[in-house]
Amino acid sequence: MVGSCSSCKSGTTLQRAPGHPTFISRVQIIGRNEPVVQVLSSAGSDWTKDFGTGIRIRKRRYITAVSGSGGGRRMRTTVNAAATETLQKGIAEFYDESSGIWENIWGDHMHHGFYEPDSSVSLSDHRSAQIRMIEEALRFASVSDDPMQKPGQIVDVGCGIGGSSRYLARKYEARSQGITLSPVQAQRAQALAAAQGLDDKVSFQVADALNQPFQDGQFDLVWSMESGEHMPDKSKFVNELARVAAPGGTIIIVTWCHRNLSPTEESLRPEEKELLNKICDAFYLPAWCSTADYVKLLESLSLQDIKAADWSAYVAPFWPAVIKSALTWKGIASLLRSGWKTIKGALAMPFMIEGYKKGLIKFAIITCRKPVS
Amino acid sequence: MRLLTHNMLSSNIKGVTNGFPLLIEVEKVVEKQVDFNEDFLRNMFPKIEWKALVEASRTMGYTELPENAESSMLDSDEFLGKFHHALVELHLEEGALVCPETGRKFPVNKGIPNMLLHEDEV
Repeated sequence: MVGSCSSCKSGTTLQRAPGHPTFISRVQIIGRNEPVVQVLSSAGSDWTKDFGTGIRIRKRRYITAVSGSGGGRRMRTTVNAAATETLQKGIAEFYDESSGIWENIWGDHMHHGFYEPDSSVSLSDHRSAQIRMIEEALRFASVSDDPMQKPGQIVDVGCGIGGSSRYLARKYEARSQGITLSPVQAQRAQALAAAQGLDDKVSFQVADALNQPFQDGQFDLVWSMESGEHMPDKSKFVNELARVAAPGGTIIIVTWCHRNLSPTEESLRPEEKELLNKICDAFYLPAWCSTADYVKLLESLSLQDIKAADWSAYVAPFWPAVIKSALTWKGIASLLRSGWKTIKGALAMPFMIEGYKKGLIKFAIITCRKPVS
Repeated sequence: MRLLTHNMLSSNIKGVTNGFPLLIEVEKVVEKQVDFNEDFLRNMFPKIEWKALVEASRTMGYTELPENAESSMLDSDEFLGKFHHALVELHLEEGALVCPETGRKFPVNKGIPNMLLHEDEV
């Protein structure tokens, strides 16, 4: 059985996607034990030639995979290492280019703020909202403040410029390791730590969340704040989070998901996939999954106390605020000085608002505990 | 990169059965003074792979750590001082971490290790 392209519903041949003159998709069979169809959708600035058909195609930038065989939808999983490497290079370059301008306008937390629903906020409220997001996440996961039970070693997976690492290290008087794909971010994170007198409490590595360079069971708190959406293999991502968590440790994932599918649905509707594709392209995101998918993965690893919630209502003011900040003189000047990747990201922001409004995009928190033995 | 971090890092190249501890290639070591914290040292001691710490500190030029250690030694200020120095005051600024099985080098620049794997190592 052949899967369908996320955008043009093409079959096994290369073809130009209708309505997308610069967007071409291709389908190939990649599974080993069962037919799993890998749909490659590519959009970007690199052109190459497919020698089989002579059609010029843009180089693969990211992968969305759908199950080929019958029996209901399967969890989207990663595909080949080459595509992952391309995605990771894109992510690193995006953040190498964009981190500075973000920090300049928004500060060192690169995540959504937590707001009272339907509140109106001014720019100065956002930093405290971002801190509230961290505190609410810790509270949701019941992380203890008690000196005997609070976390001693923390890993910040997808640490950005280290905002969470430094905050958590200070809050719990703990040590934090941060990992990011972006060398620029890692350097900046370390520099900020040194400037804040936290050099001995936090350290940063350039590393891959799908292959964390740590031994098993090291961390009392495994923290992933808005990095999960970048992971091309959700299963591997969650596996690694569980692997490096210490027995009895807490895992906190705050991430962008798409809405849960109804029991009769095989996949999102075509127009929903189309919207997500535009966002994926601009923000270097692989295929999205749902909150329910994360819960299933955690359950499959026998993790305990699994909790999940939809916090979309609490983050509503965020994207309008980011857009507003981009449209100030400072914002525009910074964007023009940055680079095409940053600008493209900025141009995609209205799609995020659209996605939230349509109930397609969910701001999700999923937490759990690793069993003690 | 402090040796506290080194004590947690391992090579996860595909096929490697024991990627810990990583060997250290030194190009530049820096010593940074850090406030002494006895509670922290006592908490960390049981979690530290001692041999790896000793070996790493020697590679970095510090030879004062005893070959073996047990928790009773934590009552000695002298021992605590050495433990503290090796664990958090020695920094590898430039060099590499080396996979003990494959010899693959993970570069360390400006104190930050790059542990990303290549396509064929995953």
